[in-house]
Amino acid sequence: MKYVQLFSGVLVLALLTACKPTGSIKVGFIGPLTGDAATFGTDTLHGVQLKIEEVNAAGGIGGRMIELVAEDGRCAGGDAANAAQKLVAVDKVVVIVGGDCSGETLAAAPIAEAGGVVMISPLSSSPDVAQAGDFIFRDYPNDLLKAKAVAQFFAEEGISKVAIITENVDFTVAFRDALKKDVPEGALVFDEVVDPGTKDYRSLMTRLQDMEFDAFFANGTSTATIGAMMQQLREQGFTQTAMTHDAGQDKSVIDIGGEAVAGLYAINVPSVNEDSPFGQKVAERFGGTQAGMAFVSHSYDAMGVLAEAMQAVGTEGTAIRDYLYNLSSYSGIVGNFSFDENGDVIGIPLVLWQVQSGAYVKVKDIAVN
Amino acid sequence: MQLLINGLIAGSLAALIAAGLALVYGVLGVFNLALGQIVLVGGYATWWFCQVAGLPLFLGIPAGLVTGGLVAWLTFILFVKPFYKHHRFLPLVTTIALSMILDGLILLLFQERPRSILPGMKETMLLFGGRVSSEQLVLIAFTLVILFGFAYLFHSTAVGRRIRAVVQHDHAAMSLGINAPSLHTLIFVLSGVFAAAGGIFIGIDQNLTPTLAFPITIKAYAAIIAGGKGNFWGAIVCAYLIALLEQVVVGIHWFGVFYIPAGYQQTVALLFIIVFLLLKPTGIFGSVSRSA
Repeated sequence: MKYVQLFSGVLVLALLTACKPTGSIKVGFIGPLTGDAATFGTDTLHGVQLKIEEVNAAGGIGGRMIELVAEDGRCAGGDAANAAQKLVAVDKVVVIVGGDCSGETLAAAPIAEAGGVVMISPLSSSPDVAQAGDFIFRDYPNDLLKAKAVAQFFAEEGISKVAIITENVDFTVAFRDALKKDVPEGALVFDEVVDPGTKDYRSLMTRLQDMEFDAFFANGTSTATIGAMMQQLREQGFTQTAMTHDAGQDKSVIDIGGEAVAGLYAINVPSVNEDSPFGQKVAERFGGTQAGMAFVSHSYDAMGVLAEAMQAVGTEGTAIRDYLYNLSSYSGIVGNFSFDENGDVIGIPLVLWQVQSGAYVKVKDIAVN
Repeated sequence: MQLLINGLIAGSLAALIAAGLALVYGVLGVFNLALGQIVLVGGYATWWFCQVAGLPLFLGIPAGLVTGGLVAWLTFILFVKPFYKHHRFLPLVTTIALSMILDGLILLLFQERPRSILPGMKETMLLFGGRVSSEQLVLIAFTLVILFGFAYLFHSTAVGRRIRAVVQHDHAAMSLGINAPSLHTLIFVLSGVFAAAGGIFIGIDQNLTPTLAFPITIKAYAAIIAGGKGNFWGAIVCAYLIALLEQVVVGIHWFGVFYIPAGYQQTVALLFIIVFLLLKPTGIFGSVSRSA
């Protein structure tokens, strides 16, 4: 009998604490904190941290502080799934910012979906993420748009023969597949997929010697591989137009590549200037970025829109989800955006960048038709 | 021709690392699974000396080599020496632990972003119809000099004779007054220097990232196994051979009909080794294995 009383006492206590949410609100983060993509992961984590610190300094969410639980997804599906499992089942986070790599997001999505936890990816661009689930959002443009923009650029410049080397990960393969559909039939005259992390492209470049091509696309997933591709391309004496995407618009590509990346184009989202007030804030708090401002600002905004949702409708998963779908516009660092019925971002344009005298300079906005 | 040069570049790198590994395995019978990390330590140290401390390359490289040797020495003293006499598989576990520790330390000290010792583009020249940069020529030559230097030490000096004696029989050599334990240390340090040279090679020719270590270790093991375990020169020849194979696999228009997709580059090369070992299990240069 004593035990029953004790047990019911504990139960009542548990019920009381469950009914009246107090204490901190847990927010999860999944991104590559180690490995080749860790520069992106570190930057996106910093963006989330910065936003949380600001929200907490301003009094938190209805007086409750946000507590961040960061997990390493290593840019790999398996690790990201484990991370999501821990965040949803053990830490019981309310929302998740992540993953960064599309492979992470796709693997973590079913787990977040099943747990009714809203997840916003600040970086995943694979077309598959659009269909990843009802609770899965992103404030980063779909690769389908990026591929269309690249195809449009090729058409404008009269480039009809493209050589592309793709590193074999979800993001780059999806981008290649999308690009293949958007360029005229047979325009990819050289199309090779290499093991992740490959840094010796010399023999592939040797094969290019016997081919005719107008442009080279460095479709790698990390600055290390894109830098190596560009070095080896230029060292073989090729002078063709070269282009890359988000993963290559990073100052470490310039650090490694030097003259080899001069004139390299990159198709990417708009970025915040390092000298802007936000850039200065990042420099002050974290000593600058590992990869680039675009990564910090998108994750800062992902956390921002989540914080706004929680302020408005509380911490219940479906309420946050519905708030995001009905959102008319969120004014973030990267621009004013909202979400479509797939959870894809609306309102973020694409920008063509080029390396000019040792820095990425904006060439023009590309409006995708 | 270009493929041959490409193979030579990649092979020199592989040979340096495999040489160090073969030496340690051949003499001590010890597997050092932290070798890839020592490669990175050498490369990153040189990057630091050159790019951060501002030393010129000709000072930075020796400094990097010394660092590699130093780390190898510490590895031996702390992670191998107390264990390998008990059972030669114990260092397998301890060096795996060390490799994880070093992975973490490298990440902490040098961050995630890729580092290059000589950033930018290298001037290339045409040589026998292939393109090669002067840096690459120096690296190829440097590797050969190191390897031949070692061959001289190994075959024509008193120290070399002692090493060979220890390889043949540890205890017999000791009974003849050879200080085998100190030779073991020397060999381990030497393997660290070889590894560091490999890391510097990567840092100059490509770029260094903290995740490179494990694949490097695997490739070096493939070379020493294919070369006949414990056979120093076999390992080196096989390192060159595997590298050349990898280049040829993707670089050649096979039978004028198809290219092997680049994604299979490593698979095909390693498949070749498997097939070869099926036919000759002692390795290309292996003699009938000695039973102790």
